[in-house]
Amino acid sequence: MRRVRLRVWVVAVPMAALAVATIYPLVFTANVAMKTRHDYILDRFSLTSSLFWDNIATAWTSVGLGRYFANSVIVVASAVALLLLIGSMAGFALSHLRFRGSRALFLCFLAALFIPFQVIMVPLARVMADSGLMDTYPGLILAYVAQFLPFTIFLMTSYYSGIPGEIMDAARIDGNTTYGVYRRIMLPIGRPALLSVGILNALFCWNDVLISLLMMPSPEHRTLMVGVTSLRGQYSDDIPTFASGVLIAALPVLVLYLFFQRQIADGITAGATKG
Amino acid sequence: MPLRGSPSSVRPADSGRTDKTQAGQRTRRTDPGVPAPRGISGQRAERLAPYILLAPAIAIVVAFRLVPLLMGVNFSFTGDGERDGTAVGLDNYAELFRDPLFRTALENVGLLVLLLPVAVAIPGLLATFIYLRVPGHRIHRSVYFFPAVLSPVLVGAIFNLLLAFDGPLNAALGNTGIDPVDWLGDPDIAMFTVVGVHVWATFGMALVVFLAGFSTLDATLLDAARVDGASLPQVIWHVIVPGLSRTLQFVFVTTMIGMLTSMFGLLYVMTSGGPEGATYLPEYYIWVQQGEMNRPALASAASTVLFLLMLVVGLAQIALLRRAGREH
Repeated sequence: MRRVRLRVWVVAVPMAALAVATIYPLVFTANVAMKTRHDYILDRFSLTSSLFWDNIATAWTSVGLGRYFANSVIVVASAVALLLLIGSMAGFALSHLRFRGSRALFLCFLAALFIPFQVIMVPLARVMADSGLMDTYPGLILAYVAQFLPFTIFLMTSYYSGIPGEIMDAARIDGNTTYGVYRRIMLPIGRPALLSVGILNALFCWNDVLISLLMMPSPEHRTLMVGVTSLRGQYSDDIPTFASGVLIAALPVLVLYLFFQRQIADGITAGATKG
Repeated sequence: MPLRGSPSSVRPADSGRTDKTQAGQRTRRTDPGVPAPRGISGQRAERLAPYILLAPAIAIVVAFRLVPLLMGVNFSFTGDGERDGTAVGLDNYAELFRDPLFRTALENVGLLVLLLPVAVAIPGLLATFIYLRVPGHRIHRSVYFFPAVLSPVLVGAIFNLLLAFDGPLNAALGNTGIDPVDWLGDPDIAMFTVVGVHVWATFGMALVVFLAGFSTLDATLLDAARVDGASLPQVIWHVIVPGLSRTLQFVFVTTMIGMLTSMFGLLYVMTSGGPEGATYLPEYYIWVQQGEMNRPALASAASTVLFLLMLVVGLAQIALLRRAGREH
């Protein structure tokens, strides 16, 4: 079977080293975040002797990351909820309902997938400003929904395509309308895909900086990632506080990753393997 | 990087269902045995169901993606500032290609294209070894993938700390007698540094895609090659590469798209386009013209160029890989 006994360590050792190199920058940052400024200047590398939570507290309160964190949570949660609702409705219609233009519509959504944000951001800013959505939460939420909806529709359609039409036919015979089929059958059946797509979308929105920079000029509307970038200038001489900010922003992602690594990978590879 | 699916990989509606079900549906409308939704308004709601379910999606995609796309191309032929709204022909494009910053941005795209095979080969090789169950393969997979889910902003911030001129990396190098390197301050080095960090942060994404591809590979082929005494490079070249051609194509295209559209966060945090404009990329140029210089029309022209660039790169790669696949 797949055995490469010969010189296996020639590969294994560098790969282990790479794993360490991958994780070390994060460990370094977490370690620095726990140091006092004095300790950091004396020795950057040594393991912190204390757990100095004051940096985290400073970053959270006086720097204002707490506020930005709340902004991000509100925006990401709303955007993901909308994406899942709209995306699953569209995915269901495209995969199981017959109507004129179904195929063309699917191709349009696919094409929209290939429009990068950078290409549309200038006119989008004008559309948003004209409709009074600039610098508002609904505006940013809509911008995220628009950005990640084609991807969501693509994955939901592909997932629902794998569900046999007989299930829907049976539900119809039981007296369900199309809407009933969606609510009682398709939403519950779609749970694994919704989980996977939801987590991916949450990561995309949480990690975004460009859309948020464009849509939310006021400082009090900043999302967490934009907040972290603003730390750079203000706290360039207070590295532990800066590192604390990075840690705060990375922690939710780390938690999601630890619990849902498989779903994240599934969502990312779904487009690559089906076909 | 939002992963994009390969266009031909999913078919809507009829993929799993054949004409039989279509006929079945057609007859059901007149079939008295099926309880129809009650009332005329109920029937209409039923008939319009697909459109009602799709309406929000269509509205959002049209209003916030398609309309802006068309508007943007239009904008690029109008003026900025005092000439706002008036047609200026190709002036913006002429200005764009005269601007040394935009030229640097295009040169850097060329550099990215050259580095692309490396950025694909690294995760490809690592995935091969993980597939061949190198010791510790489970942990490797989890560890390598993690930076891919971290925001470029955080990755950039972390490497700002590590790569500062008086930072830890140079201090560590100093201990081994190597002179400090100005990773982000030297115009000749900064772009390579940023690309290196980008690859560090995203190779896990391609790795996971490769591993998914491997799971569809016929393992008996590998065993047969082994029995015939093929060396590892031979196995990679003659079994794995042809067997994974679809995956390879997908990774090439998504990696290139990622390089062209998801390095903004890194550039914004690590270099702000500097030193001396050496790390400009089209996406950063668009942001600067729109967000800082208030030149939306010029930015739109740059957007249009970026879009065409992506189209060309994508199509060229698909064509190349097709041909390579046929030769095999």
